[in-house]
This record gives sequence, C-alpha cells and structure tokens, in this order.
Amino acid sequence: MNLTVRSERDSLAERVPFGVFKHMRSWVVLAPFTLFVAVFLLWPTFSVFRSALQPVEGSSKPAMLEAISGQYLDAILYSVRLSALTAGLGAVIGTLVAVSAVSLNQFKGLRNVLVGYSAVAANLGGIPLAFAFVASLGMQGLYTKLLSVIGINLSDLGFKISDFSGIVIVYLYFQIPLMTLVMLPAVDGLKVTLKEAAASVGATPRQYWRSIGIPLLSPSLLGGFLLLFANAFSAYATAYALSAGGSNLVSVQIRFYLQGNTITGKSNLGYALAAWMIVVMVLAMSGYLGLRRRSERWRK
Amino acid sequence: MIRRNFWSKVILVIVAAFYVLPMIAMARFSFQRVPVIKLGWSTLGKNWTADSLIDAVTSERFLQAGWLSIRLALLSVVLSLVILIPTTVYVHVMKKSARSYVEFLSILPYVVPPIALVVGISGAMKVLGTWFLASPFSLVPFYVIISLPFTFRSLDTSLGAIDLKTLVEASRSLGASWMRTTRMVILPNLKVGIINASFLSFATVLGEFTIASLLLKFTLPAYLAESQGSNPQGTFSVGLLLLVVSSLMFALMNRLSKRKGHALTGLTL
Repeated sequence: MNLTVRSERDSLAERVPFGVFKHMRSWVVLAPFTLFVAVFLLWPTFSVFRSALQPVEGSSKPAMLEAISGQYLDAILYSVRLSALTAGLGAVIGTLVAVSAVSLNQFKGLRNVLVGYSAVAANLGGIPLAFAFVASLGMQGLYTKLLSVIGINLSDLGFKISDFSGIVIVYLYFQIPLMTLVMLPAVDGLKVTLKEAAASVGATPRQYWRSIGIPLLSPSLLGGFLLLFANAFSAYATAYALSAGGSNLVSVQIRFYLQGNTITGKSNLGYALAAWMIVVMVLAMSGYLGLRRRSERWRK
Repeated sequence: MIRRNFWSKVILVIVAAFYVLPMIAMARFSFQRVPVIKLGWSTLGKNWTADSLIDAVTSERFLQAGWLSIRLALLSVVLSLVILIPTTVYVHVMKKSARSYVEFLSILPYVVPPIALVVGISGAMKVLGTWFLASPFSLVPFYVIISLPFTFRSLDTSLGAIDLKTLVEASRSLGASWMRTTRMVILPNLKVGIINASFLSFATVLGEFTIASLLLKFTLPAYLAESQGSNPQGTFSVGLLLLVVSSLMFALMNRLSKRKGHALTGLTL
C-alpha cells in the first residue's frame, strides 16, 4: 500500500505559490516590508541622530552634549520624573486591580468588562482625554466644584490640571488599565496549588505574598513598570492639550525648538532632545522585552 | 477570605469610578448649557441640549477635518494590510526562521516616539523637495509605521493560533491550487487578524495628533486643538463622540476575538 501523499520533491518550498515566489530567496519576499520600514522609520531616525551630533550655532560641542546641560537637561529630567511617577503609581494600582479581579473570579462577567474597558482606556489618550479631565478637574470642572462644596479647594492645595500633579492624574487614566492588561496573565499564572501548599505548611496570606506571590510576579511587575514608563515618556498630545502647548515636558519642548529654529539657530537642539528620547525609549523597551521573556518562561 | 474579597471590591469600585467620572463630566459639559458655577439641585435638569454637537459636526471645518481623517485612516488600513499580509503569511508558511526578524522590525516603531519621528521626518524628507510633505497623504506611510507593532501582532497571533503550515500542506497535497488554498485556507484563518489589525490601525489614525499637527495637516485631532478655544462645548462633544466611536470599535473587536478563541492583542505589545 502506498499512501505517501507527497514525495521529497514535492516539498512545500518547491511548490511555489502563484509562481510569484518561484526561485526567489526569502530576502526578496521580505524586501518590500524591510524597505518600507527602512525608508519611513530608519531613515528619519538616522536623520535625527545625524543632526543631533552636529553642533548648535556658535558652539563646538555636538548638540546632544549641549542637550544634557542646563535648561535642556531640566526638560529631560522633568519628563523622566513624570514618567517614572505615573509608571510607579500605575504599576501598583494596575496590579492591585488585576489581583482583585482574579480573586473575584466567581463573578463571571466582571473580568470581561474589566478587560474590555482596560483595552479601551489604555488606548485613550490624546486630546479627547485631556478634554475629559479639563471638564472634571479644570478650573471650571465638575468635580472641582463638587469638592469645593465639601470644603476641598483644589487650587488652594496647589493643584492645577496643566501642572505636574494634573498631568500625573490624567496619565494614570491610561497607565492603570495598561498595567492591568500586562498583569492579568501573570496573576492568573499564580497557581491555586501554590497558595494551598503555602497554607498547608502554615503560612499566613501575608507570608504567602512576601515569599511566593511577589517574587513570582516581580519580573512582570518590573517589566510592566518599564512599559508604562516608555508609554508615558513618548506621550505628547495629552500634555500639549492640557497645557495649551506650554508644558515643560521634553516632547512639548521639542516643538518649541523646531519652530523657533529660524530665530535662534538652535534647531539642532530639537534633534538632540529627540535623540535622547529615543535613547531612553530603547533602554526602557529592551528592559521590558527582556523581562517579559523571563516571566513567560515559568508560566509555561 | 471574606476580608480580602472586601478589599478587592473596594479597589475595583474606586478604579471604576476613576474610569467613569471623567466621562460623565465631559458629557455634562458637552450637552448641558449651564456653567459649573450655577450648577446646583435646581439647575440639574435644565438646558440639556445636543445643539453644540450638531452645530460642530455640521461646521465646514469639522467636515473638512473629518473627511481627511477618514480617508487617511482607510488608506492606512489598506496599505498596512497590503504590506503585512504577504509578509506575515510568508513567514508562517514558508520560512518560520524569518519570523523573529519581522517581529523585531515591527516593534521598532515603538521605541521612536511620534514626536521624535516627526522631527526626523522633516529632516529626512527635505531631500525629496517640498511636494512630498505638502500633501496630507504623505502621513499615510508614517501612520502605517506607528501602528505596525499592533497590526503585525494581530496578524501574527491569528496565524500563530493554528498550524498554518500543516493546513497549507494538507490543502496542497489534496490537489488544491495555490489560489484555492489562499482563498479557502489562508484567508479564512486570517480573518480575525485582518479585522483586528484594521480596527487598531483605523483607531490609531483617527486619534493621532502629534505628527499631523507638526506637519500642519488638518485632521480631526487638529480640529479639536484648534476649535477648543472658540467653541469649547461643541469641541468637547466631538471629542466625546470620538471616544465613543473608538470604544465601540474596541468592544466589537474584543467580541470577535473572543468568539474565535483568540486573546485580544495589540496594546500590551
């Protein structure tokens, strides 16, 4: 009985689709995609670094060195502080939400609603989100008024929606759900058997979390923190709309240097700040991807 | 045990309030013509109207921006699919070893923030002369780039869930032509991935402000930024409308993915 369906000669690589891929090496098939990324992403990125390494008018230092001194460094540090704070708060609260949702697994619909809305909210941002918070906590905001009725005056407390504290709260709107989405699979991975084993040898819930839960979650936690950091660091539209273009964030400052280039001759500083942003993003994202690989390993 | 569930409920209720309350405030501002200062129990039910929204969406500027944004979004979806479908199918069926290469390139846009990308665009594209960046449609390839991490992942996941290679081999060994195999095996399995990728790319383009604004293109978010001073109520209501539209798209996408047994992908990279 000969049931060999295909012979060696018939192997897939030789049965070419449409004849289009015939005798083509794989790089030919991957060329359009590669070329597209090269032209519309790598070339602009290269151009950023090329200008960033050139000096500003009246200076011999590369603009990238100039950009890590004085007021320019302040802009970068302001963004780093803001991103780190929103990432830290977002990571803690988002994880608490994920743990809470898993511990309330008996309510069936809850998780669907949470995942669904988190996916929506993590993607909100931009100008409409800024509007929502101006209507809530701005000078004429609904909750600014409600809080003042019960005696809490936000502007007396130094809170302003366009300032650091305001931007932090607005960013949390997309940071918390993003962290929830990152952490849910990790929290699911904490098997019930681990908790039962810990309980059977007499561990309290606190001991369980300290010795088992948190160590197992920590790669995901740290990875999530880095992802959130990168997410906040690259954001632009929300802060721009909140502050009407006047924020100290490095992303908003870049616009200022680029548009002022004819007057000040400092457009290379805009490129330099953009180059530093890319450097920070590369560091944060490679950390995230490395940690994600690690946390996925024990889950399997 | 009961105590811990109590705290779980408290946390979820607080976070749910944080998610919902800003939307309520935005809706009230958009549809109620009562200044916050005059708001009280007596004025709570007064002057609710959709006039601002109707005025805004029938205005010349809105229609101009909306029409541009929709064309940009559709073109970006089409270009994304044209570039990604052959590439993704190829790496899944013919050359698995190239998958990590394509995945690597598809994640790269994430490390270049839109503001840095647009700085590079204006620097790099200068050599092409002014004609390229003068057209609003020059945004399309960059929109394909910024949605690449999400669009590739959608397609990749929908193909990763099945053993496409074996299915294709089975189809071929049963004598189906490549045309037939594409139509009957590859495309049906890609359907969820194509829908997800299209929605993600569409939603990204509709909300994108940074690149459009710095290249002086008048898209919907640029309209929001421009007219919030002159017509705040109308502008906020358009913003709310945008939020609702993109939320509905995500809800629909979530539903489709679940029915097919795929996890919702994209945002968490």
